[in-house]
Amino acid sequence: MTASSNTLTFVRALVATNLKASLAQRGAFAMQVVFMALNNFTFFVFWWVLMRRVRTLGGWQIGDIQVLFGIVAAAFGLAVTVAGGVRHLGRLIDDGDLDTLLTQPRSVLIYALGIRSQPSGFGDLISGAIFIAASGQVSWWRLPVIAGAVLASALVFVACGVLFFSLAFWLGKVETAARQLWDLLITFSLYPEPLFGGMLRLALFTVLPAGFVGYLPVRLVHAPSLASVALLAAGACAYVALAAFVFDRGLRRYSSGSRFTAFG
Amino acid sequence: MTALARKYAAFARIAIAQARRERAEVYGRAAFFVVILGVFSSLWRAVADAGLPIAAEPRSLVWYLAATEWIVLSAPPIHLEIQEAIRRGDVVYQLGRPASYVIAELAAALGLLAVRAPLLGLTAFVCAYAFTGWIPPACALAIVVPFGLAGAALLTALFLWTGLLAFWLQDVSPIYWVGQKLMFILGGLMLPLQFYPEIVRRVAALTPFPAILGGPASFLLNDGLIAPGALAGRLAIWSVVTAVGVAWVFRRARAALTVNGG
Repeated sequence: MTASSNTLTFVRALVATNLKASLAQRGAFAMQVVFMALNNFTFFVFWWVLMRRVRTLGGWQIGDIQVLFGIVAAAFGLAVTVAGGVRHLGRLIDDGDLDTLLTQPRSVLIYALGIRSQPSGFGDLISGAIFIAASGQVSWWRLPVIAGAVLASALVFVACGVLFFSLAFWLGKVETAARQLWDLLITFSLYPEPLFGGMLRLALFTVLPAGFVGYLPVRLVHAPSLASVALLAAGACAYVALAAFVFDRGLRRYSSGSRFTAFG
Repeated sequence: MTALARKYAAFARIAIAQARRERAEVYGRAAFFVVILGVFSSLWRAVADAGLPIAAEPRSLVWYLAATEWIVLSAPPIHLEIQEAIRRGDVVYQLGRPASYVIAELAAALGLLAVRAPLLGLTAFVCAYAFTGWIPPACALAIVVPFGLAGAALLTALFLWTGLLAFWLQDVSPIYWVGQKLMFILGGLMLPLQFYPEIVRRVAALTPFPAILGGPASFLLNDGLIAPGALAGRLAIWSVVTAVGVAWVFRRARAALTVNGG
């Protein structure tokens, strides 16, 4: 078996284990899913009310904003369902809890990301699908494009999480700051692209890549082209590679927590 | 000052000292404030370009948002700490103290509020001015500040109530999210309530959210929709309702805790 298929099998096993753990408490799981979906729909009321009065905003209509919300929600849901450990990475590093993962014969980063799953992510996935379906902007034959756009967006989400939380290798306790950076990425991703110009737009395609999380995937879904596929794929791959590189460099600086912990 | 008041003031003082040492979260909130006001000043400019048929000016709406966000961000999310204390079982030790757990938590939270509110208020003022180049009349600001602080204190008490639900629910986050989103709409967090359909405004009037957020902030819109006296009355009524709700939930929680083995 090759290394990549080994890794895929491992990821599948992590996802399956997390899913079983989440479903063990069915009531809490269902509640988190439903409430997260409600949470997303409630947030959209703002746009619904505003766009009833203003038909277009910088060329964007309510349907475009629905597609944006759908892609970002589904991507975020996918990210925290499959790689929910990303939100705990800073604490794992700072508390020395990577020790237990270092002794395992698998990639530390993949293990750390897959160690947790956020059940509310399913609520994001479901609401994302509903937003996209209700937008009236996409037809069924574009489903593969939508799936690709969501996957790329989720990869950028996870990569940014790894980058932000890996700062703990150098700066120590950064969980709050890293989480707020991640929240800012989500915040910017949820507003129409034409609102931002100048240096801010540059920042939104580099240091805080809301452009790769929301704007480019929306453009791809609206007008699929090889150029936009290539741009989005290149962007996602670049962020993933950068995240893996930074985590690897950080891991070399990592010092043990010197704690004895049971793990299994 | 009575011995009772001194006792709870000590909880507040400890929280203030801790908040002064751990400033990262407040700075993070201030940074978030800058971003959200920047985004919304762009949004309202775009909306004005598109010809929004409302009386309020874009610059007033930015100041309105600055006020509502100031109230929301100043209120410490104490439900998280209460939830963790209940989950870990630490609450049992705190219940044994010669002080009311609920009042001590509220006093500590108000101490945190006293640290956060001035810093975030200053951030709100500076950012709103930087993004609009305009300052509302001083009398409007003078009314917003006390009502905003009262709103933030009431919101803190609602977070306390939410946290106490952790005695029954493993995770109170879903309740918090729904409350947050109800506040978002029914409180008029980003859009003043007059933007919403009549039915939403009627439902909002039955909740404390307009008194907490939209009420205080609407003085900056100068729309005369609510008088200071009426707002003070609503805040007082909802404070009493919240106090009764917190006391009732806590009494039931203590009983449940004893039934489960203490």
